[in-house]
Amino acid sequence: MSFVRRRPFGTLSLLLFIALLGWIWQERTALWAFPDIISGYTAKEYCSCRYVMNNPADDCYSYVKQWLPTSGFTDDAVSKRVTVSGMGRSNSAVWISDRQGCGLNP
Amino acid sequence: MSKGLSLCLMFMFSLAAHAENWPAEQWQTGPTTSGPALQALEAYAFPPRDDVTRKGIRTDALLVILDGQLIYERYAAPTTAETPHLTWSISKSLMATVFGVAYGEGLFRLQDPALKFYPALNKHPDLTLADLLHWASGLDWQEDYEYAPLKSSVVAMLYTRGHADMAAFTANHDAYAKPGQAFRYSSGDSNLLSAALKNIVGPARYPDYPWTALFDPLGIRHAVWETDAAGTFVASSYAYLTARDLARVGLLMARDGRWGDRQLLPKDWVAFNREPFSHVQANQDEAVPGGQWWLNRAVDGAPTPWPDAPADTFAALGHWGQAMYVIPGERLVIVRYGDDRDGSYRHNELLKLARQAFALKVQP
Repeated sequence: MSFVRRRPFGTLSLLLFIALLGWIWQERTALWAFPDIISGYTAKEYCSCRYVMNNPADDCYSYVKQWLPTSGFTDDAVSKRVTVSGMGRSNSAVWISDRQGCGLNP
Repeated sequence: MSKGLSLCLMFMFSLAAHAENWPAEQWQTGPTTSGPALQALEAYAFPPRDDVTRKGIRTDALLVILDGQLIYERYAAPTTAETPHLTWSISKSLMATVFGVAYGEGLFRLQDPALKFYPALNKHPDLTLADLLHWASGLDWQEDYEYAPLKSSVVAMLYTRGHADMAAFTANHDAYAKPGQAFRYSSGDSNLLSAALKNIVGPARYPDYPWTALFDPLGIRHAVWETDAAGTFVASSYAYLTARDLARVGLLMARDGRWGDRQLLPKDWVAFNREPFSHVQANQDEAVPGGQWWLNRAVDGAPTPWPDAPADTFAALGHWGQAMYVIPGERLVIVRYGDDRDGSYRHNELLKLARQAFALKVQP
């Protein structure tokens, strides 16, 4: 108790830190997956926009734009494979067939 | 005399047969409309499009079928009449329609446990196919898209932890309520249905089943339905149809599951689609859930969700403003594709203006 009285802010910070660690542990799968969202979303929806809906590349590029930045965007028109990086992760979507359209990392 | 009578009867029967319009390879076109009511509809649906901020109403396609004839269509670039447009959650209602054909084949009953056809649901043995069709699985699912990406089950299902096998990802969720007791809109429920269909029709028929069961009989030639890596159709989100083709499904539903002289969906199946889920509470969602379709019905003391449309209106609805409205009593089907990134589009307003332009003037 004397430690708490001597270091009230230190104690509070320690408790908050422990709570944060607990939250990180509880949400570890969601947190680990989170950085994949932007590149996965962009690759998949661009592929479908371009090769399923057959819209022009420029339109598809602005269609998939989100508030999070992406980098390393490549669209290989021959293999119909779209690869996008963002938040340190990379994901690809590829066109499969007339009926099945595009798949994410199929 | 009797010969004359039978000729007369034959003439009357042929008149009755021809009185009903059905699309062949293309839709027949009906009389076009003009005037201030149409201008008001177009001003609402097609305001100057803002592709920089992406704010406001951004309609990609608007198409109206009256009495089985195409009476209006308009597109905004890059969407055209040939574009198989992403339908997002309209896919759910399409999967329910595919299910209806399997139901007509006698392959399952609504009260069958989903586990019977999808063994990965062994933690949820009491969950029935009817519960899934009502979005009432009781699974603790979070449907938010953009605003809670960390907690969103649907974002994880489509793009990260769940994308390889969306049904298995859903089946791993814990329950928050008993099955069949509470409505909670869930893309996961729809993908569990899609996985169950694999064993309902058999793995050999499954990859072609949406085409053989529904698209081919309706003359839909350019449907795309993406699958996950397990080969399960993404029934929650990823069917693509032209506006003209989607309207064929609308006409099928407007005519109680009949296509020409073939009863493709049993009438009691369509009735189930159009019956409100019995435990739904007022204002739980933007319309009243039926069997994977949305209803304009008054439930739990609340008014109908779309007061300017008749109570028999029902709809298939999807993210970013995708909609198909069916108004059987006014013989009207309306397809609206969009790319709305904010919430400014209103179903009721579109329905009101479209009925003023196309339906109400034919009423006595």
